[in-house]
Amino acid sequence: MNQQARPRESVLSVLKYLFLTLCVVVALFPILWVIMSSFKTNAEILSSGISLPQSFKFDGYTDALIISPILKYFGNSVIVSCFATVINVLFMAMAAYVFARCRFRGKNFLYFLLSLAMVIPMTALLHPVYNVINTLKLDDTKTGLVIVYTALNMPMSLLILRSTFLSIPRALEEAAYVDGASFVRTFFQIMMPCAKGGLASSAVLVFLNSWNEFTFALVLTSGQSARTLPLSLSYFTAQFSFNYTALFAAVTIAVIPSIIVFAIFQEQVISSLTAGSIKE
Amino acid sequence: MKIKKGWIPVFLFPAVALFLLIYLVPLLIVFTTSLFDYRLTGQGMTFIGFSNYLRLFQDPDFYQAFKNTVIWIIIHCTIHVALGVIIALMLYKKPRGWKFVRTVYMIPNIISNAAMGMIFLNIFNPTYGVLNSILKVIGLEHLTRNWLMDSATAFPSVTMTWVLFAGYTTTLVLAQALSIDESVLEASRIDGATSFQTDVFVVLPLLKKMIGTTMVMAATYMLQMLDLIYITTGGGPGKTTTNLPLLLYGVYKSENNYGYANTIGVIIVIMGIVVMTIINKAMKVNDEDY
Repeated sequence: MNQQARPRESVLSVLKYLFLTLCVVVALFPILWVIMSSFKTNAEILSSGISLPQSFKFDGYTDALIISPILKYFGNSVIVSCFATVINVLFMAMAAYVFARCRFRGKNFLYFLLSLAMVIPMTALLHPVYNVINTLKLDDTKTGLVIVYTALNMPMSLLILRSTFLSIPRALEEAAYVDGASFVRTFFQIMMPCAKGGLASSAVLVFLNSWNEFTFALVLTSGQSARTLPLSLSYFTAQFSFNYTALFAAVTIAVIPSIIVFAIFQEQVISSLTAGSIKE
Repeated sequence: MKIKKGWIPVFLFPAVALFLLIYLVPLLIVFTTSLFDYRLTGQGMTFIGFSNYLRLFQDPDFYQAFKNTVIWIIIHCTIHVALGVIIALMLYKKPRGWKFVRTVYMIPNIISNAAMGMIFLNIFNPTYGVLNSILKVIGLEHLTRNWLMDSATAFPSVTMTWVLFAGYTTTLVLAQALSIDESVLEASRIDGATSFQTDVFVVLPLLKKMIGTTMVMAATYMLQMLDLIYITTGGGPGKTTTNLPLLLYGVYKSENNYGYANTIGVIIVIMGIVVMTIINKAMKVNDEDY
């Protein structure tokens, strides 16, 4: 590198760090602001949006739990997301295994058909999906949401799990078959444990997507019995009229689980995102 | 290896059933019912040919929503993706703290849009919101306004709730950049290229395909956007921030005109195909050879 380029490069590197710091601030500020505001009193919030709280009180959180049945919505979200995750990963692993290993007529066409699901903008199908769920007598139930969320995450899981199964050496199964294990037993006892990484990756993504989903929850639920946490947020402005502390506390309660799941499984999330698209 | 073929249909059944139930049947319903007069208040379904489409092309709300959708897709595919790519290019040489930046920058993408919407609803709040509070502190009180309800600022304000958060793009492009062979970068350095020149003329072309993929993702994301707009402005004031999904939702839920709502659905599906074809052509995403 020649000498004249040096100062310019170091100026560039300072600018680069400034820019990256700015990005970190932009990404963190909205969330930190809400968490900070959830500890302020109503009067403090109204007098200035950017002042720090005078003392740390959890009144907002207790208020939020009293005003709105957040715990119930939280529970609904946990149930719907967990069931959607387990069912999606099990069903898609079964299909992905068959697509990765078995030979049968029409396989490529069927796989092409199922991958089409990835390119359909799902908000275009709001009314017919409601129609289908309503016909099954499952509207405003958690079961209806579980079915829709399982399906919404189908293309992504299928892609991740198929490439996972393709990367496992065939010798393992052949040994199992030689030992006389059945197809089903080989799948559950040999292949599933080998595919642990891929299974975990798609499970984390399905869970986060289901936990955060809003649009179909809005269309498919009407009462409180199946209402999920993200959906309940849209009712907060009316419910928490002028109790801003409780409002901010409620938003914090909705955000924290996603951040915790991401913090624990971030390597998984990043590797599955990239595995899904780079090998494509 | 002998596999009992009998198990294949059993293993495929759940996935195929879900596909039929939630994708294929709804898709068929959308296309067919767009040709019918199908309303909550009407007498069942009457075949009316392309009347719903004729109404669509005369509907000023549709033009507004179509225009907004296209503008948002373009902004997302250019500014949003470019931001993600620039950050990825800054991080791939693994400067100190690169993993921290990558993780933190993902956080707005992994929390729910509903929560993000509520947060921005409060950031833009006229009385206690952050933006007006800051403007007051630095003495620009005359600039304070009701950002989301003022027709001059509603559109850019809503755009701000998503355009800067390019965590997914950064993560994907960064992963691709990290997989570039070190010898390629070495060769460029030996030839006397500055690091800026290497980024632009060597690394960027190698990332083209992945950038194309993230552009498709960005376009699809904006084509389906509903939650953030629904929570922040509800599409208003007037229809200034209404996009096609929100227009569809309004026709479906408030007007209870299912035939017309599904006509908008058909347009969204067709736009999805068109947008993807354009981006694939432009970026040659499916091109294997370079």
